[in-house]
Amino acid sequence: MKTNLTCETCEQELCAYLDGALHPAIARALESHVESCARCGARLQAYREISSRLAELPEIAAPAWIEKRVLDSITGRARARRFWSRGFAAAAALSFAATVGLIAHLPQLARQWGLPEPATWPVVALRAVLDGIIFVAKRLALDLTFYESLARKVWLAVSALETLPKVALVALRTTEAQIMVAVAITLGVALYLALRPSRTREGGIGHACLSL
Amino acid sequence: MQPDERDLVRRCLAHDERAYRELVRGYQGAVVNLAWRITGNADDAAEVAQETFIRVLRSLSTYDPGRPFRTWLFKIASNLALDVIRRRKRRPVALEDLAVEEGPPVDPADPGPGPEEGLRLDRSDARFDSLVRELPEHYQAILFLRYKEELAYDEIAETMNLPLGTVKVRLHRAHEILRRKLIARGTAT
Repeated sequence: MKTNLTCETCEQELCAYLDGALHPAIARALESHVESCARCGARLQAYREISSRLAELPEIAAPAWIEKRVLDSITGRARARRFWSRGFAAAAALSFAATVGLIAHLPQLARQWGLPEPATWPVVALRAVLDGIIFVAKRLALDLTFYESLARKVWLAVSALETLPKVALVALRTTEAQIMVAVAITLGVALYLALRPSRTREGGIGHACLSL
Repeated sequence: MQPDERDLVRRCLAHDERAYRELVRGYQGAVVNLAWRITGNADDAAEVAQETFIRVLRSLSTYDPGRPFRTWLFKIASNLALDVIRRRKRRPVALEDLAVEEGPPVDPADPGPGPEEGLRLDRSDARFDSLVRELPEHYQAILFLRYKEELAYDEIAETMNLPLGTVKVRLHRAHEILRRKLIARGTAT
């Protein structure tokens, strides 16, 4: 542990010393330094005075309305919460009673409205859900088949770029060449989209053009 | 946390209205004065105190009872007060700015006035407070927490979101600045 302090180090530790926040060994070293150094001793005295004055700084009184507003806000909110929780409980009880009544009279109501026997409703609902799932799965499979062939063509076109001679790549460095290539690609894609066989309509423009 | 503080918090959590009052009455003076030191304005300080207590009471369930209640309370208050300053854009102080050491520089190479010049601390000097008010707001907040609320260094660090070393440095700087100002004023008059 360092026991000899410089004036600079001592000065930086004075506050912590006065506040009792120093390690005992450093505090002892500081005391020993201060005893032998008039400058640091005077500074310690000055800091002590300042700390004492800081503890006596004036304070303002808290206005009385703080308590009232805080209480209004908190208790008003609590009351609102209690009101809504009671309302929610009442609504839940009512809906429970209504559900029980409805279930009890369900066979009678079904007969009145000409619906099938309520006992068969879960089976009908399950069947409807399964039909829906199967329909969606079929649509997805069809879409997948369509987009898979398209993706394959794009992949082949991109792969073909690797076979381009280096000269062509060098030529593409100029802005004019890049614009021309971009225009050509755009036109090509537009032409393909116009002429491709329509997936949904057999009599589409693409079909008509290709059949020509 | 003190046992009475723990009991107060427990009663507040049980929505005891009397406990709400006790909590506000017990801490409103400290919170208002902390906010006043930061914002420099009594009206803003009162607004900050109101908002602090509303937030504290609403989020009391998130409070960790293992930590000092005052530190948690002052942290919320100081953040709100710093927000006021930021909005006012008088002297913008971002919370993240407080993590880096800044403020009025004290040149370490300059020893300042020596002991021979003396420190004329007139205890009846009404202008000492005005000298403190010339310090940056977050320095004033640290001084308030240390010398008025007697928080330990680590509690101040937690309250102000600062490293412990920064709290120490700022307290030292504040003392040195005040010492020099007092001497400068003393020699000027």
